[in-house]
Amino acid sequence: MTTVATDKALMAHLLRRAGFGATFEELETYCAKGYQATVEALLHPERQPAIEEDLLERYYVDWKESRNIEGAMTETIYRMNANASRRPLQEKMALFWHGHFATALSKVLHEKTMLNQIDMFRTYGMGNFKELLVQLAKDPAMIFWLDNNVNHKDAPNENWGRELLELFSMGVGNYTEDDVKAAARAFTGWTIDDDNTASIPFGKIPWAFRYLPEDHDDSEKTFLGHTGRFNGEDVIDIIVRNPATARFVARKLYNFFVSDEPDQAAENILADAYLQYDYDIRSVLRVLFNSDFFKSEKVRFAKVKGPAEVVVGTLHLLGEFKFPKLGIFDVALESRYMGQDLLNPPSVEGWHTGREWIDSGSLVGRINFVADQVGNIHQPGIRAIVNALLARGPVLTAEAVLDGCLELMGHIRLTDTTRQQLIQQVRKGGEISTDTLDDRRAAQEVMLRTLKMIGSTREYQFA
Amino acid sequence: MTTQIQEYPSTCGLYRYHDVIGLLSAGQAGFSNPVAIAIGPDNLLYVANRANPNQREAVRITKCTKDGDYVDQFGTWGEGEGQFIWVTDSAFSQWGELFVADEHTHRISVFTREGKFLRSFGHHGQLDRPSGIAFDPHNDLYLVDSLNHRVQKFTQDGRFRAKWGTYGSRTGQFNTPWGIAIDQHGDVYITDWRNDRVQKFTPDGHVIMAFGRSGSAEGEFNRPNGITVDADGDIYVCDWLNNRVQIFDPKGNYKDTLIGHAGVSKWARSYLDANPEVERKLLQAAHNIEPKMRFYRPSSVEVDSDGKVYVVDTYRHRVQIYQKLLTASL
Repeated sequence: MTTVATDKALMAHLLRRAGFGATFEELETYCAKGYQATVEALLHPERQPAIEEDLLERYYVDWKESRNIEGAMTETIYRMNANASRRPLQEKMALFWHGHFATALSKVLHEKTMLNQIDMFRTYGMGNFKELLVQLAKDPAMIFWLDNNVNHKDAPNENWGRELLELFSMGVGNYTEDDVKAAARAFTGWTIDDDNTASIPFGKIPWAFRYLPEDHDDSEKTFLGHTGRFNGEDVIDIIVRNPATARFVARKLYNFFVSDEPDQAAENILADAYLQYDYDIRSVLRVLFNSDFFKSEKVRFAKVKGPAEVVVGTLHLLGEFKFPKLGIFDVALESRYMGQDLLNPPSVEGWHTGREWIDSGSLVGRINFVADQVGNIHQPGIRAIVNALLARGPVLTAEAVLDGCLELMGHIRLTDTTRQQLIQQVRKGGEISTDTLDDRRAAQEVMLRTLKMIGSTREYQFA
Repeated sequence: MTTQIQEYPSTCGLYRYHDVIGLLSAGQAGFSNPVAIAIGPDNLLYVANRANPNQREAVRITKCTKDGDYVDQFGTWGEGEGQFIWVTDSAFSQWGELFVADEHTHRISVFTREGKFLRSFGHHGQLDRPSGIAFDPHNDLYLVDSLNHRVQKFTQDGRFRAKWGTYGSRTGQFNTPWGIAIDQHGDVYITDWRNDRVQKFTPDGHVIMAFGRSGSAEGEFNRPNGITVDADGDIYVCDWLNNRVQIFDPKGNYKDTLIGHAGVSKWARSYLDANPEVERKLLQAAHNIEPKMRFYRPSSVEVDSDGKVYVVDTYRHRVQIYQKLLTASL
């Protein structure tokens, strides 16, 4: 393998993990920029153009209100796909935090309020972890989800305080029941101004955070060894400085971006970065993506893609729905059919990821979806792949067609067994020539079949 | 939460709030993301509901009286003849036929007032996402060919007559235009959506004037869309992302602004009477009522011969009505 090919394979790995994959044209651009510069670009989405909101509102007139979960899910998939070119890591981090701070419409029942939470992750997801937790604590969907709207001075509710410590920041074993009680008291009075879910008569109005000082317990509390008249922000300040939080955040980021298999040494590096850079998530991600453990061959194609990654990654490969049009609704529901009901995770623990994404039903759904899409020559991304391959004529071997398809789909790596099986299939088409118009038509059919076969492989399901 | 007619003047006092019609509903008495309104020769309102792709039964034309009494509905979601997917605008010809623009199928469908499909014209290639449509005094149809950034003119039976406009920001050019109005002289007004301005043309496409620029101050726009001209020549522009309707004199000078003052409509009143729990929650959050009275993405505006101004308040699923006061015509 040449250095250029190696660099492209590494870049493709980066974009699969820090985004939703990259087209071969995008990989050319990223490689010209260089690896470190690409990481910096990913870490600074604000330097890239934002989604054109006026166009979205003009064509999808129902989205501002999102009256049901399917509509909200569609909007989420659309935005992920639109940002897969412009701001992929911002979008990937929003997906990460959505799984981590899992909040579900099954209880919240207000789609726009849920979408606002995802937007908050886009805004704060790569910033300071303290600020992110403060925003989370003020997030109306989270407040309602974990009952902080019924956490009163006279009758504390510990649900939010407990999950903040257990699932969101430190993990069990690093705090006591008294700490949970103190945290709950610190967040009394953090509520929402209106939890109306009715569409009539005015349409649904997104909920907003409201602080009620008269309902806040301002008395002295002892929390994780610190004593004072703590409010919610004080509790978060104590949490984020704790080494257990550093380890917890590091483990979660490692698991999402690098490998399902724990690596204590790597996680220690990330935890150190978290503390060294004052809980700045962007700095931790910079260390992660530039690390040897991330670039290692060992971790590539070792993570099962989540359903949203499959759907968005495939749409991005196709170059589809980059401008508002009808049809996104039906495609977006595929994520649900594959087992990921976006905006509606099964519990506060989020989705069970890794190999737990796959069962026989969801695997068939994944394969059918991808194979149907990547064999469609009318999709601009597929047309571009086929044209690039045809330009490699006038005669192509079966190996050249297969390897070309693998490369242009994002440097996908197959096992030797799968590769040999696919070569046998491609060879059945005979010699592949691009000389005449008829030759090119025949070659195109072989290429489309090859793309479909690759999309049907087990390997395509890995990032 | 009652409609208080006399207490809500427009910003400069030339109009006053009159009434509201609407309620979110997928059928019968109600609207679902309405985007266009046309006043029929039968003096009824024809409101086009765009709805959303996962509530296809809500895509329809709702007929109601100006007092908010439901009359009928027609139209179904689909790509077949007599169906529509993404409605953008509607207009009556002088023969009393209702023309409906659909930017998904790129065609114009024609119906009787009773909803019987008559014919259609237009296809992708000839049109690319048609939006605003309007008839001139000679019964020719002008339409905004939005993604082709131009205006096209057809006979009422769909024969091509003329076109003008190219993509750009220079005078006479367009960037994704949306709305259209034609005054009694046949002059054509286009909301040049992404250029945040209104351009006025002679019937054959020569620029007469342009006004507006990006912003939120008086006379500025943030993606203007619906537009109409009343009998006095006053120009009404839905200033979509600024959530207001601005009114200009015939020379394009700013006159007044409508911001929305909706109370509870007749249809909503019936619903709330039957669902007191919903009303109880609304009253609990009474401090949130005021923003709900305001326009939220007004998309279409029409004025009738009595000086009543009908504004389609798309995201609130309603039509707000203002009365032009005598002083406004002086």
